[in-house]
Amino acid sequence: MSPNPFAALGLPERPDLDDETVRAAWRAIAVATHPDRADGGDLARYTQATAAFHELNTPWGRSEAYADLVEQARREGRYNDYPERYPGSTDPGTTPLPTIPARAPLWLHLVSPWRLVFAVVWLPPRIRRGRPLRLLIRAAVAAGLSLAVLTLIPGDPAAPADVAVLITWFVLTGRKDLAPPPER
Amino acid sequence: MSIWSWLKLSAGLWLLRKAVRIARWLLLFVVAVVAWPLTLVTAAGYVTAWRRGWPPARLRGAAAWALTGAGVWLLAAALRFRAWRTAARAGVRDWQHSWPRVGALFAGHWGQVWPHAAALATARAFVLLAPAAVPAGLGLAAVLWAWRKYAITTGLAGITASAPITFDARQWRRQVGTAKDLTEAPGAVPLLGRGGKIPVGGTIRAVGHRWDPVFALPSEACTRHMVIVGATGSGKTNLMIRLQAGWFTANLDAARAGRGNRPLLVVLDGKGGRDSRRKADRTRRLLYGAGAGRVVVWPDEAALSMWDLPPRDLAVLLYQMIETGTGAAAYYADVMQAVLTLAVTAPGGPPLNATSFLDRLDAKWLARAWNDGRHRREAALAHAAAKHLADIQLRLATLLERLGPSLDGPGTLADADAWYFILEGTREPSVAQAQAMALIELAAYAATNPYGEPRAMLLAVDDYSAVSGRVPLSNLYERGRSLGIGVQVSAQSWQGLGATEDERYRIAATADGGVWVMQTPHPEPLTALAGKTRVLETTRKLAGKSWGDEGTSREQRAWTADPDLIRRLSIGQACYIHHGGATFVQVARPKPSPLTLLPPSAPEPPPVQLPGPRHEPAPWPPPASVDLDDIFGPGAV
Repeated sequence: MSPNPFAALGLPERPDLDDETVRAAWRAIAVATHPDRADGGDLARYTQATAAFHELNTPWGRSEAYADLVEQARREGRYNDYPERYPGSTDPGTTPLPTIPARAPLWLHLVSPWRLVFAVVWLPPRIRRGRPLRLLIRAAVAAGLSLAVLTLIPGDPAAPADVAVLITWFVLTGRKDLAPPPER
Repeated sequence: MSIWSWLKLSAGLWLLRKAVRIARWLLLFVVAVVAWPLTLVTAAGYVTAWRRGWPPARLRGAAAWALTGAGVWLLAAALRFRAWRTAARAGVRDWQHSWPRVGALFAGHWGQVWPHAAALATARAFVLLAPAAVPAGLGLAAVLWAWRKYAITTGLAGITASAPITFDARQWRRQVGTAKDLTEAPGAVPLLGRGGKIPVGGTIRAVGHRWDPVFALPSEACTRHMVIVGATGSGKTNLMIRLQAGWFTANLDAARAGRGNRPLLVVLDGKGGRDSRRKADRTRRLLYGAGAGRVVVWPDEAALSMWDLPPRDLAVLLYQMIETGTGAAAYYADVMQAVLTLAVTAPGGPPLNATSFLDRLDAKWLARAWNDGRHRREAALAHAAAKHLADIQLRLATLLERLGPSLDGPGTLADADAWYFILEGTREPSVAQAQAMALIELAAYAATNPYGEPRAMLLAVDDYSAVSGRVPLSNLYERGRSLGIGVQVSAQSWQGLGATEDERYRIAATADGGVWVMQTPHPEPLTALAGKTRVLETTRKLAGKSWGDEGTSREQRAWTADPDLIRRLSIGQACYIHHGGATFVQVARPKPSPLTLLPPSAPEPPPVQLPGPRHEPAPWPPPASVDLDDIFGPGAV
């Protein structure tokens, strides 16, 4: 497919061309380059024009193709090519659409010390406005089991490990019983 | 070979097969008993996953988290025994020592060991081995559960041939129950999650997507084009409000951290009436809870001025707002466009309001404005169009009268953090369509205005079909894309997305932010976007009146997003289709955090922005001679 379908059909780069203009341009090229001509035509040119015609065959296709060209010009800094879009040969400041990242960048996961302080400060009201009873039951279960573990195997390396597992369980399952922090 | 010897051989082979099978089960049983802590954890994990409809991924996640215990164990053992090998030996020794007590507990040797002592010893053995047994057991449960699901769905397991169907239906019910439980928890689905993601609700099922208990969308997805389709009462509004509030919170957060522009949310509600006002009020309360400073409901509380548009855009907008015909009417349409351009782009600046604009549709005004010697062509045009001016003025006056004062200013989009526009699309479709055109134009201007504060913008249109007559959705998308603003559109059905099948497909196929499908009777065109997945289809032979144990398996293609499942979705359930995958979600009702400080119960009155001492510009140069008709009226002299 031609990088510039408008150029392939010899048309001006405008999204508001009508269907008839596009069809006429393609027919003119097709008649001159069709492979069935006595002189053999120009298969490459014919194929290119046909592909461009299929791309520009509808108003939507033309507007998409035009938007692609404008976007490409913006990326390459060719503002002069599209003065109607970039008056004064400058980028008017529209932000290009960001790509959707599969995962959030790592730095977003880093927690600043202030955020930690706020998290601690907001903890009591978050408990109060969440589901305190459920949280209390979870805490009681985790604490009771931890006490049992410490009683059963005092001083054994497995004891802190079990307690760590219980704390992990409590934190992971108890989070949802807290009310969301402010403005969340 | 005689019949008797053949019978003996067959019986022997049958017995041998049975013996091997029994031996295999026995061996498995022995292994399960010997590794009893692992068996306990595996059984618990497996049963929980089965009862709660968890996918194996959830068990794998739990196993990964439980590894923290194993890590702590190894660390503590290394510190105590100073050698990894000794630490490992200590674990094995604990397990060995637990055996006589466990055996006593199960064998009932009450004479040798007291039951409670045996139970204590068993518990002690379990907690000694738990740091390793818990992650290993959960991991094993994940493997077994994955195998069970695979075996059932491919027909390898299950008593009846319909087992895959009943298994899937039962699992769906349990998955829905689990997702509902999660959405009811106050902190499970906040407006904004970690990493700037927008939590939507509990995940019911994910096909071709990564599974997480809470389905969260990157906020960047909302800066793309998104389509939401669902019948009335399917929970579409809840989903839209949640996405809008999540997007707003994410962008406000980023702006405060200096990582982006302040958000500007523009919601066009095409339905109108009391329902829309209730929705507007809910959206406003939520946005205040999310940190918005000012949320305005239009036209009830504030007005906008479409006269602030650049003159050329304003002329085109006014022309497009008028219904024009084809054929012979096209001539008058051209005349009208020329007159509007002359009136709006006259030297001295554009009109300030509707009244001053209508005043300009006058032959003398236009002649005075353009007869400055420098605009001969325009002056000639004004002269040529003079005889049509009365008609044009009448049509424009009627249009502006119907539009009402809410587009006549004062006010700009930049005055608020969010605007909720209520368009009476049900009651007055033609007016709503014209208003939608003007508002979209104002939004486009706000996005590109080089003199205004750059804002991150989301244009959300609810019930788009009510106002889509004059602004095709494809056009809206194209504009959104070129202006860098996100567009979110909802429709009640596939047919509501566009006038033709071709346009609907284009809209759905270019929704690169994803497509949300809620309960709708005709979801096939949308579910086709998720494509199909390769599945194994197994058949079973009928032996008389029962199914035999022979059959065939073949690879088949099945819907990634099952249309029948979507048809049966309950209120608040949605299917998110994106990138060839589908996730079924139980959407959580959006609620602001109860801890947000001083949420304003009512919006502050909008700042009074009276138009300054602007005056209608006098045409330049001044008329050479004063027409006496201007002073005394026609026919006075």
